Amino acid sequence: MNVRKIITFTEDIHTEGGRPVDPPARTAVVLAVIENPWAGQDFVADLLPGIDEVAPKLGELLAPRVVEALGAPVEAYGKAAIVGLDGEIEHGSALIHTLKFGDHFRRAAEATTLLPAVEKRAAAGTVFDIPLKHITDATVRSHHQTIEARVPDGPRADEIVIGLAAAAQGRPQARLAPLSTER
Amino acid sequence: MSGASCDIRKVVTVVDEVLLELGRPVATPVRRVAVAAVIRNPWAGRGFVADLQPEVESVAPELAQILTGRLIETLGGVDRIEAFGKAAVVGLDGEIEHGGALIHTPFFGNVLRELTEGTSIIVFSDDRLPAGEPLTVPLWHKTAAATRSHYQTVQIRIPDAPRHDELVVVAAAASGPRPNARIGDRRTDPAVRLADLEKLESAR
Repeated sequence: MNVRKIITFTEDIHTEGGRPVDPPARTAVVLAVIENPWAGQDFVADLLPGIDEVAPKLGELLAPRVVEALGAPVEAYGKAAIVGLDGEIEHGSALIHTLKFGDHFRRAAEATTLLPAVEKRAAAGTVFDIPLKHITDATVRSHHQTIEARVPDGPRADEIVIGLAAAAQGRPQARLAPLSTER
Repeated sequence: MSGASCDIRKVVTVVDEVLLELGRPVATPVRRVAVAAVIRNPWAGRGFVADLQPEVESVAPELAQILTGRLIETLGGVDRIEAFGKAAVVGLDGEIEHGGALIHTPFFGNVLRELTEGTSIIVFSDDRLPAGEPLTVPLWHKTAAATRSHYQTVQIRIPDAPRHDELVVVAAAASGPRPNARIGDRRTDPAVRLADLEKLESAR
């Protein structure tokens, strides 16, 4: 696995809607820009060897970093794969839609639910939104949120940006009725 | 109406680490960090304010301490900071002068310099922009500004800031030089005047 760069974002929201958020609402994203393992190979029918080689290493690299960057217990999480213009979206999906990748984050966050994801093919500098849901109950409405991310010079045409996102809480002023009240 | 202290809506940190260039491991892996605070513009809604000094004195030092503290924490200690820079983005209803007021006086710069144990003048960028526009923040060496290997930049972008009545104030630092710095320095440069260039041209 060839990692060109790693970008880490954190955000602490101190006020929302003009009211204080105490403690500040914290989120973190870690993005790795990697060489597309299938770059220059035309259509590859069997992606499994590449998945087996790269996905676990990506999980090992990113999961501890995003948990450390958050610096607090993870309550909501999500993932991203942004494929450079010469690749297939399937290449990005291959690397993130496998337990070999996601279970690293699940273990690090003590999580059980599916990781919501964004996958797309785009030019370097594209803006993308990573969806997050609660780590043990994906119906917890207060924790539905997104984090916007961007790598100015990635992905190149033969690269993929792989990301993990975490939040230490739900939305800063969450006040929607829970799902159960509408059933 | 002068701000009692800075009114922070959010604090954003970006860390950029380059491991490979053109497929090869870089000579010096470097961490570049920018920390940005989104604050309400202390002069918002007041028309032209002639004397900016009261808010400079009440807002800038606290901001500098918060931002520099984050920088040092993120890089893992003052001795990990080799280069620094600063920036301000003014929301659309403000004056560029408002951004300058918060970063170009000793009430900000001296605090940033002292906390990072620097001596150089601090390089900067500023602009007036809508929310979500990126700004490139320049950095140079904290004690020897002309050290060419340390000329570099880091980009910061906050999706929802600055609002029209806000300011984004940034402190930035790098743990080392550019990852593959190899363009010499003042000590190694040949003399280059227009006449020298003409000689080079005619020798070709």
